[in-house]
Amino acid sequence: MSLELQLLLLAWGTLVGLDLVSVPQMMIARPLVAGPIAGAMLGDVATGLQLGVLFELFQYDILPMGATRYPEYGPATVAAVSAAHAATGTLGLGLGALVGLITGMVGGLSLHALRQLNTRAVRRAAAALEAGDPRVLERVHAAGILRDAVRAAVVTALGLVLAQMARVYLAGALPPHGVALLNVAAVGAALAAGTAGTLRLVGRGPGLRWFAAGVVGGTVVAWLR
Amino acid sequence: MSSPPTRARPRLVRSLLRLFTVQGSWNYERMQGIGIGVAEEALLRDLRTEGGADGVAYRAAVARGARFFNAHPYLCGLAVGAAARAEHDGVPPEQVERLRTALCGPLGSLGDRLVWAGWLPFTSGLALIGVALGLGLPAILGFVVIYNLGHVALRWWALRAGWTYGARVAQALREPLLQRATALSGPAMALVIGAALPLVAQYLSSAFFGWARVALAGVVAGGFALLWWLRARLTGLRLGLALLAIAALAGWLWP
Repeated sequence: MSLELQLLLLAWGTLVGLDLVSVPQMMIARPLVAGPIAGAMLGDVATGLQLGVLFELFQYDILPMGATRYPEYGPATVAAVSAAHAATGTLGLGLGALVGLITGMVGGLSLHALRQLNTRAVRRAAAALEAGDPRVLERVHAAGILRDAVRAAVVTALGLVLAQMARVYLAGALPPHGVALLNVAAVGAALAAGTAGTLRLVGRGPGLRWFAAGVVGGTVVAWLR
Repeated sequence: MSSPPTRARPRLVRSLLRLFTVQGSWNYERMQGIGIGVAEEALLRDLRTEGGADGVAYRAAVARGARFFNAHPYLCGLAVGAAARAEHDGVPPEQVERLRTALCGPLGSLGDRLVWAGWLPFTSGLALIGVALGLGLPAILGFVVIYNLGHVALRWWALRAGWTYGARVAQALREPLLQRATALSGPAMALVIGAALPLVAQYLSSAFFGWARVALAGVVAGGFALLWWLRARLTGLRLGLALLAIAALAGWLWP
């Protein structure tokens, strides 16, 4: 993969990482968006769509409320698509999922570290903030956004490095049935996480009946296709 | 009480743009407080001429605006508009503080139900169905456009409602449209995601044949059971990593 493409993916992953919490939360951070766009950059929309759908299911396991800690699947999906693209036909989904899940975990840890850095910056500026100095207020805020951009870039870069390593060391190391097992594990875990996450949201109230009706309808459509 | 500023709309627009960055400096001490302060500052500039030449009233209001706050990011505008309007109306500082504190819980809870557990999974589920049925990139584009129509409209409504009602902002939360949307979003989300799951399962497993399909059914059932019963400890991420590690080991050992 060329350096230009890697830089393009890095820029996209940074925007995606920034969108998750800081600016502007328009949901390009959703794997369903991050993956296909990364795939389009690589000229491989199909792989982008598949991994976007796969990580979107993992995303359903998360409710991003308040100070909760959660994995970050946006830049992770970009890295996953990068890993799977070069390995299409050999490892595909499984390799992408492995790279993506590790990157997602690192992304989650980096969010916690960023919040701690922001907390220190706010404490340092506490006197000026309590005095109502608007310039300090804006500076603290802008610095937080800049820190998040750097964080997102670092996480994406780590993911892309991991993708490169996976391509070099894992692609070809597994026999065909091993590859199939990896793909089954990736898809199975995503479907289980998506179903469990959705059912936690739905609860046991009337929503459960709507969910069941949806499953029946979706199954009928899938069967008829 | 001071009269409302004459050039409110441009300032509301500036405040709205700043609200898109409201969580940019999220931290464990003031949470969204700094971002809220930045967004509110755009609406407080008229106060610079009040309270003396050094803008005592303005600075005091800016300081209050940047204190602890945490709610749903899309509905923060309600608190920003209401607090700024209350400052303009000369509401006592303690009452402005109480207003901000009182809004955290309801705005957080409402936004979580309406957006995180409603509008977002609903629109994303529709996009999943679209992709599974072969629509490809247009389904993704449709998701981004439709989701953000609701997103931006909600942010703008929240800011305007806060600015309109001021300290009486609780009235805005009783709007019939908002109540109806909150009531409908849960069932709609459940129906759409329910329909999306079998279609997505078919889409992702289209390349699997024979034993792989049986294995997939087993992994989904077992994984779901583990996630359900160990929900306090096991996450989708951990399950995924564990299953991939087991699969890689089994595949490597398989003769």
